[in-house]
Amino acid sequence: MQRFAIVCACALSLAAAMPAFAGAPQALGTDDVAALLAVPAKGARLVAIWSLDCAYCEQNLSSLRAYQRNHADVDLVFVATDPLSQSTALEARLKAAKLDDVPSRAYAESTPDRLNFLIDPAWGGETPRTLVIKADGTRRAYSGALDVSHVEKLLR
Amino acid sequence: MTPIKPFLCVALLALAGGAHAHDGMSGMAMGHEAPLGFDAAMDAQGHLWVVDTVGEHVRARRSDDMGRSFATSTIVNPVGEPLYAEGENRPKIALGPNGELYVSWSQPRKLPWTGFVRFSRSLDGGAHFDEPKTVHRDTAEITHRFDSLAVDGKGDVVIAWIDKRDLEAAKAKGKPYLGAATYYTWSTDRGAAFAPERKIVDQSCECCRIALARAPDGRIDAFFRAIYGDNIRDHAYAALPVGDGTPNVQRATFTQWHIEGCPHHGPSLAIDGSGVRHAVWFSAAGGNASIWYGQLQPGREPAHLAKVAGAGASHADLVADGKRVWVAYHQVSAKGLDLMLRESNDGGDTFGEPRAIAHTSDASGWPKLVLWQHRAFVAWNPNGQFRLVPTEAL
Repeated sequence: MQRFAIVCACALSLAAAMPAFAGAPQALGTDDVAALLAVPAKGARLVAIWSLDCAYCEQNLSSLRAYQRNHADVDLVFVATDPLSQSTALEARLKAAKLDDVPSRAYAESTPDRLNFLIDPAWGGETPRTLVIKADGTRRAYSGALDVSHVEKLLR
Repeated sequence: MTPIKPFLCVALLALAGGAHAHDGMSGMAMGHEAPLGFDAAMDAQGHLWVVDTVGEHVRARRSDDMGRSFATSTIVNPVGEPLYAEGENRPKIALGPNGELYVSWSQPRKLPWTGFVRFSRSLDGGAHFDEPKTVHRDTAEITHRFDSLAVDGKGDVVIAWIDKRDLEAAKAKGKPYLGAATYYTWSTDRGAAFAPERKIVDQSCECCRIALARAPDGRIDAFFRAIYGDNIRDHAYAALPVGDGTPNVQRATFTQWHIEGCPHHGPSLAIDGSGVRHAVWFSAAGGNASIWYGQLQPGREPAHLAKVAGAGASHADLVADGKRVWVAYHQVSAKGLDLMLRESNDGGDTFGEPRAIAHTSDASGWPKLVLWQHRAFVAWNPNGQFRLVPTEAL
């Protein structure tokens, strides 16, 4: 029994050490939007919205990841508007682009209009879409692919 | 016992992984299971034809009671294949003058953003469909997707799509190329064979549906999102000649929306009997997501430009019948999705206030307007439940 407890502890500690976001994207449902958009305690949160069908999106995700590497107070999350049933394809695409070390979400609904609206009422669903939420509560949004210099401007 | 520890660790982690996967499945169940992309058309006898997908199969159904029930249901492709079945990339149906049923769709290939445009027909009223075929000669594993389908005044079949062969050629030469090209082909023998494809224009948008409509002279005109200058994504207009000729492509909208990205938002077009080109399109120029209505005058600003709807509105469709014009679209809010309607009785010069004609807390495929005996109906399938929604005010 004692041995079993040790084994359990070993498994749990290993599980805890694994980032919660590693591997497949996590479902993003309507109830999850408030937490996604919560104002960060420091710095800024970048919500990078993308889709499998968007040829400009990986470039945008790469720019945001590159920016984040040099800014420790920037929190980054990828949100795919594709349904979670595309989880394998989403994971493979991020892995191929060496972007699989960022927390990743995918829509829990396959027609995304309502989630789009809840995330950003001013957004028409075009991708990539980048939301910047600063610790002071201000928000900005940008549609289209950003390069690192544009990301810097957006975060000023 | 010691050697067992790692095994148990792995087993417990596998269990944890299983629970994790199950959470994912729960998330999926929050939405509907099947894709919602569909198309609908009304034949001369008042039968409603609807195509959608079931797994790897395209399904064609006929309703004899305005969408309340389906009298027939036929699988178009008995041999399953991957299908694009959502949003801007959904199966299409068009009807020929002698009862022909024409169906097209885009088939995803293995690589991202790749696809082939597929076609099948039924010449026996939907009892059977021919084996599907790819309509383009180019077989490169690239984008040939976002097909649109129409039948012209002579009964010839026209299919247009987005095609990346010119982008690939430019990349190979190290030359810049924005977006993708738009191509089309046609069949003059009821879909038995298609002509070699012809380019409509280079450097157009790569992720928006193409609107096709029949002009009074019987030709098919195309209205689609194109790229001007540095990623200004407005719309182009071109008549698509069947046989000899080349499309004369002209800019038709001037919203100046700049986006280096994918709008996922194609336009709609309806040409009335006097040749007025009624159109609706989406633009988020200046950060203002809007649906616009206008009467297209290729080469210059549309006439009677009017904002149909603002933030939260999407995927408008329209039809025209004499002086009447109907525009249907989705309006999303925190409460769900409203199916909205705006109507004009003066040929599109002015529109009445928006009215919600149906509501769902679920998702739906994009609305599609159909006409029957001078009345307009909106085909809609919230949560996969097909409906034909009347447009009259109660």
